[in-house]
Amino acid sequence: MLLKIFGLFLIFTGTSCEDVVDIPLDESEPRLVVEASILSYKESESNIQQIRLTESAPFYDEEIPPVENASVKIISETGLEYDFIHTSEGYYINENLNPILRETYELQIIYNDEVYTATETMMGVTDIDFIEQTATGGFAGDEIEVKVFYTDPGNEPNYYLFIFRNKKITLEIYEDKFTDGNQIFGYYSNEDIQPGDNIAVEMYGISKSYYEYLFILRAQIGENSGGPFETQPATVKGNVINRSNKENYPFGYFHLSEVDTSTYIVE
Amino acid sequence: MKQNFSLFILACCYAFTSFAQESYTLSGTITDASSNETLIGVNVLIPSLNTGVVTNEYGFYSLKVPEGTYDLVISYLGFQTITERITISSQTNLNFKLKESSEFLDEIVISQRSDGLNIKKPEMSLNKLSINTIQKMPVIFGEVDVIKSLLMLPGVSNAGEGSSGFNVRGGAVDQNLILLDEATIYNSSHLFGFFSVFNPDAIKDLKLYKGGIPAKYGGRVSSVLDIYQRDGNSREFKMQGGIGAISSRLLAEGPIVKDKGSFLIAGRSSYAHLFLKFTDNENSAYFYDLNTKLSYRLDDKNKLLFSGYFGRDVFSLSRNFKNTYGNTVLNLRWNHIFSDNIFSNLSVIYSDYYYGLTLGFVGFNWDSGIKNLNLKYDFDHYLNDTFQLKYGLQNTYYDFNPGEIEPIDETSGINYFKLNNKYALESAVYFSAEHNISEKLSAEYGLRYSGFYRIGRDELSIYENDSPVVYNEDRDIYEEAEPIGTQTYESGKIISSFGNFEPRFSIAYSFNDNQSIKASYNRMAQYLHLISNTSSPTPLDVWTPSGPFIDPQILDQYAFGYFRNFQDGIYSLETETFYKKIKNRIDYVNGANLIANNNIERVILNGKSRAYGLEVLFRKNEGRFTGWLAYTLSRAEQKTPGRTPVETGINGGDWYKSNYDKTHDVSITASYEASKKWEFNANFSFQTGLPSTFPTAQYSYENITVPVYAPRNSNRLPAYHRLDLSANYNPKISSEKDFRSSWSFGIYNVYNRKNAYSLTFRENSDTGVNEAVRLSLFGIIPSVTYNFSF
Repeated sequence: MLLKIFGLFLIFTGTSCEDVVDIPLDESEPRLVVEASILSYKESESNIQQIRLTESAPFYDEEIPPVENASVKIISETGLEYDFIHTSEGYYINENLNPILRETYELQIIYNDEVYTATETMMGVTDIDFIEQTATGGFAGDEIEVKVFYTDPGNEPNYYLFIFRNKKITLEIYEDKFTDGNQIFGYYSNEDIQPGDNIAVEMYGISKSYYEYLFILRAQIGENSGGPFETQPATVKGNVINRSNKENYPFGYFHLSEVDTSTYIVE
Repeated sequence: MKQNFSLFILACCYAFTSFAQESYTLSGTITDASSNETLIGVNVLIPSLNTGVVTNEYGFYSLKVPEGTYDLVISYLGFQTITERITISSQTNLNFKLKESSEFLDEIVISQRSDGLNIKKPEMSLNKLSINTIQKMPVIFGEVDVIKSLLMLPGVSNAGEGSSGFNVRGGAVDQNLILLDEATIYNSSHLFGFFSVFNPDAIKDLKLYKGGIPAKYGGRVSSVLDIYQRDGNSREFKMQGGIGAISSRLLAEGPIVKDKGSFLIAGRSSYAHLFLKFTDNENSAYFYDLNTKLSYRLDDKNKLLFSGYFGRDVFSLSRNFKNTYGNTVLNLRWNHIFSDNIFSNLSVIYSDYYYGLTLGFVGFNWDSGIKNLNLKYDFDHYLNDTFQLKYGLQNTYYDFNPGEIEPIDETSGINYFKLNNKYALESAVYFSAEHNISEKLSAEYGLRYSGFYRIGRDELSIYENDSPVVYNEDRDIYEEAEPIGTQTYESGKIISSFGNFEPRFSIAYSFNDNQSIKASYNRMAQYLHLISNTSSPTPLDVWTPSGPFIDPQILDQYAFGYFRNFQDGIYSLETETFYKKIKNRIDYVNGANLIANNNIERVILNGKSRAYGLEVLFRKNEGRFTGWLAYTLSRAEQKTPGRTPVETGINGGDWYKSNYDKTHDVSITASYEASKKWEFNANFSFQTGLPSTFPTAQYSYENITVPVYAPRNSNRLPAYHRLDLSANYNPKISSEKDFRSSWSFGIYNVYNRKNAYSLTFRENSDTGVNEAVRLSLFGIIPSVTYNFSF
């Protein structure tokens, strides 16, 4: 946030400049990347679940290599097993898993003879109340802002992930430390929002540890990294553990969330 | 420790036995003839006795002299030297007024220098910059800046062009003790670090101690920047000011009672709309500060001084964002002279740092700050010509407000939330001796005992095994522990206490009048920590006291140096090497959220830091052409190992470079007086690029590109270099001497180098290709400043 203010100052004093430079980089060994978001949509009965496995790649590469020969399954608290079958491009599908709130699930992946596991609890989420738009958003007060209101359940800690899909994908995360029990909003504002945009809004209930994971992840991406007023870059470690070889840890996360969705057309 | 103490006792015995001669005290105050401003660091010498002393921070000197007649020489850079024959047959009080040399000599500032004492004095790792030198140096936007000038000295650097504060010998920004008229300044930056909070017009003198720090100072482990404000002219009313590209200044001073009392008031303000009006909304970003001083001499032995400082930065961008921060300092001092050889100063200081933030679109106000009340009593005791004692005691009461969140109005979804205030008391007693052991050997040694008490009222969390941070071995991450209870401490009850002996020692051996070697050791304790996990501190960062979960930082520093004057001091060379280590330097677990965190202990780990290096400073001190070359070769590192063998700590528990580590740092400052009207100045600096962390791979998560980073600070930005030029023009002084004006023309970054301020590795949102983006802050920037005085 500070960098943004700072950036504004510099831009308006007309002294700073940004340019793309050629910086050679060291390369690290590829690691497994797990995107395992098991979702239960409020307005949908679909039980189709999808897990994506890829590998990390050199930073300047344009292609992300998919992992196509892993074995993937999820086991419920009661011992039910859900096998995920590879379809294409590293996507693994199961059509029968409908996660139950507050139940714990285990993800098991076997890849290159190494066993990876992760455990998470299915998190619920409250409903989106309504969506509101004003034209006084952003630090400068001249951007379109979209507020997605919801009512936080009181007297318990809750964590939220909002994904706004417009031309770009924007992730916002919230905890209810300062808003417990109140009607509050997920906030989406940037200079690219135009009247007529069709914004898809997804509100996820997430666990505290997934919130913390995303908190670190967000600090590493895009314009949030680099510069004296930003936090130090770090390796973002998720909840998937390599049981066979600890050194060869994977990236990514396994979580189960209830989701409320909506769409909003910008006026 | 014990050894130092017995050495001190020995030295005292020696000092007192040499006391038996028939001698008298010669003492007095030395002032500037034109303003009655007291002068700091004036040399008072009796060459025939080979003895001398320099005036203290209040212009006072005292010498023990045997009965007889002597020539007394009083000299100070930029002033005419006084030589006077004096006869001592009783206690003598002699005050001197020095006249500025440039006013009376046709020659261009060729002043007599008597820097011989610097060779012989045990003080080392000390840089003095006169305000004249600072005002000449070319600076960005033409804004004269105390802290930016310090960066041209060896051993002083910062974490990039726009970063706040400064780093001394690999120390962090929060490890500098910054004193303005003896009061602590908590944030020395305006506009995130572009400018410092000190108005150069109001400053008389500054000293930067990088090592060998006298026992008088404590509470920070890295350096002491000791700045004194001017007292004001007690002879006549004067005004001066300047108009620059960013700010304007105005200063007024004059007598309250002629020759007895004076006032000084200085204001500085940037222009209200540094942000251009880029929208229809109200936007502004500005800073201002106000320095005030009242001084009144009651009689020859008593003087009262009142100083005040008030500074604020304000950013306001529509109703959505408003940010205000700044320091307030009030200080009342009483100078009293006991029996001609004991000078005392009693200070009562109030100091306050405030930070406020309003985020309208989120719906809250945020306030935080630190207040303290400080009582100090310091004595300078001139025992005899070979022995001088300084002793005193200091007491500071702190009230920390780590933060308070208020909903902006009743429609806001934010609940009121207040982090617990924290209270603490810091006390210290010290003594310090300056001892000329022989003609060639002199030493300064002392001991400080500091105590720190965290006191109630407070409510602290209790954790299982007393461990607020839990290591998750499976995931190799640190997590916050859940408190298992809380303990309430009533008001005034001691929560935790710390005590440290801090020995200080430095010694100088001079081979002759022009060559010496010096060595020093100092141990220091720091009880306050600036909670900041960004590469450079921000105004929002909160100071927090040591307590049950945070131990005080302890420093040990060793330095060794060789000093030499050439051609009677026209040239001088100072070389020093240093090694320092600090324990209990806190570090932050990945993802630590420091803002509005009532349990900071749950995101910090205890680490250590070390720094070592070589500094060379070669100066030309006299003539039309003056300047210096400074070179520093150094390394600054930090390490936070795991607490048990299974834990990995931070960065794998390995040493990593500090954010401000620069292997090579070269600065050249040159000034040439072409004529009485024109003066030209140049600065050049070359520095190894700052440490940075580059990615070694990438992956995709939720369709977002996530970089995989190398170990912390294992890469570097490209090398930094820059040339600045300035020309100062003083139009001919007219017959009516009252009104003077000058122009200063500057060019910053003459060859327009795009120095990388940061490198950001990101996905181009239009093309989807990953790229490295360089942000460079300042290209070539010309500036003009107009100054006047009357």
